[in-house]
Amino acid sequence: MKKLLVIGVLVGSLFAQEAVLPLELDAWKALSYVGAAKSVDELSTATLKVAKASYVGLISTPKMKYVIRPMNEGGTVSYGGMFEVQINESGIYRVVLGNASWIDMTKDGKPAQSIAHSEGPKNSGIRKMVDYKLESGMYVLQLSAGADNSSAILVMKIK
Amino acid sequence: MKQLIKTVLLLFFLMEGLYAETIKNSDTIEKARVKLGHRLFYEADLSINGTMACATCHEQRRGFCDGNRVHPGALDDNGKRNVPTLANVGKFKNLTWSHDHLSGLAEQSLAPIKGTDPVEMGMNGHEDEIAKRLGQNECYQKLFAAAFPQEKGVVNLGTLTQALESFEKTLISENSIYDQAKKKHKKLPTKDARDGEKLFFGAAKCNNCHTAPLFSDDAFHQIQPKNLKVYNGMRDNGLFDVTGNEKDKNVFRTPSLRNVALSLPYWHDGSATTLQDAIKKHKLKTNNKLSAVELRKIIAFLNTLSDESFINNPQFGKPSLECK
Ligand code: HEC
Ligand code: HEC
Repeated sequence: MKKLLVIGVLVGSLFAQEAVLPLELDAWKALSYVGAAKSVDELSTATLKVAKASYVGLISTPKMKYVIRPMNEGGTVSYGGMFEVQINESGIYRVVLGNASWIDMTKDGKPAQSIAHSEGPKNSGIRKMVDYKLESGMYVLQLSAGADNSSAILVMKIK
Repeated sequence: MKQLIKTVLLLFFLMEGLYAETIKNSDTIEKARVKLGHRLFYEADLSINGTMACATCHEQRRGFCDGNRVHPGALDDNGKRNVPTLANVGKFKNLTWSHDHLSGLAEQSLAPIKGTDPVEMGMNGHEDEIAKRLGQNECYQKLFAAAFPQEKGVVNLGTLTQALESFEKTLISENSIYDQAKKKHKKLPTKDARDGEKLFFGAAKCNNCHTAPLFSDDAFHQIQPKNLKVYNGMRDNGLFDVTGNEKDKNVFRTPSLRNVALSLPYWHDGSATTLQDAIKKHKLKTNNKLSAVELRKIIAFLNTLSDESFINNPQFGKPSLECK
């Protein structure tokens, strides 16, 4: 129930603030639910598609077994999770996030260097946007040190 | 008589042994506190929602500053001031941008943990929660026991902040290009840096306040430009907000310039985005009339204050996963 409410509020806030959302964030409107993986074995069921916004359920940090140790680990009372993202074309990608979790975009056990950070537009439901230069291939997106057990997320190609 | 001398000698040796033993013990304890403090510095459970550690704002790779103008708190409260470096912080009597009677680093660390102006880690009123979280962790049980044997390893704000203080005192930066040149009685590597050094210690009078070797005189000055803007709606009157003395309005402590090239943006409110902006922002004739060339040279000198071994020292970096 609580989760439904959160989804409602989040989606609501996204629609309500449509005017302030930059065009390319149109994809926020189609939110489907994806539960995060807590270990490598669960990754195949936690897939995010490029350009498709998802509402994600996160996991209590002590239960997490990350592929690589996150830069910011988060305390026992925080939340995190992992997702698989297939990148088909190399380019600049943006991870758009509804909460302020730490993001590590990793491939073959190595984190990609972020190239730009920004906060979302005020009241857009977007808290954080981080850009990465990515190669084609399978990435593991790690979220850590998050304040809540859910968030909205979108990976999109910007260049 | 002989007996007496023997007894005195015996007593003397015993005492000396005891003394040496105490020194050795306090050494071991101090080492254990540094180790504990190191782990605590990276511990996000010191914040209300587990999202923020000291190291979230004080990043080693930036000389223990961060790249933001100000850093919002764990609960997204607005930040107020720019994050200062922690290089050589154990050598300062005055702490923060503008406080003149904090008793030391232990007391200072209560500000981020439970302060409310601004709210950073958000633990005000939830202090017991920290002991609960850390007390359940076997590693912390072990580390607190070793660091505070007399206190029976109790986890509370008292022991925790003492350990943080012990760790912070080890954050020493004295191996920059400038230091290396000084130690070897050599000149700085580039002509610009050498000219900048001359200006810094000479005509530009920077050393009057940014006094070597700390590159701060640990004292307070009023050098604010006229219309000091209020940032984030938070008025900041500097030392005045601590003392209430009119003469302390807009007075701030001279920041250290060690590793300054790594720690942009600058100024107590993060309002200067480049070193050039920061130098020009002083309401000081000497600073304001520096030519573009002089500025470039001074900045070349400031670049030599970056200390690679400090920002890469694993003893200050993220602690290992295993408890050791
Ligand atoms: C939200 C960001 C943030 C967090 C988290 C944070 N700090 Fe700071 N720190 C600051 C800011 C901003 C200042 C300047 C405060 C002022 O001038 O009032 C500061 C100042 C300091 C200073 C004074 C430095 C000097 O030169 O006098 C020390 C020491 C310090 N912090 C240690 C810590 C410790 C230890 C922790 C963890 C318990 C911590 N900080 C957590 C932002 C942070
Ligand atoms: C009268 C004392 C004084 C003199 C002289 C002085 N400064 Fe400063 N400087 C300060 C104070 C105080 C601040 C902090 C101001 C603030 O943030 O509100 C500061 C800030 C700075 C900063 C920003 C540091 C940071 O971490 O934000 C730089 C860089 C700097 N000074 C360089 C210089 C240079 C270079 C000179 C010589 C050309 C110089 N200063 C001369 C007192 C002085």
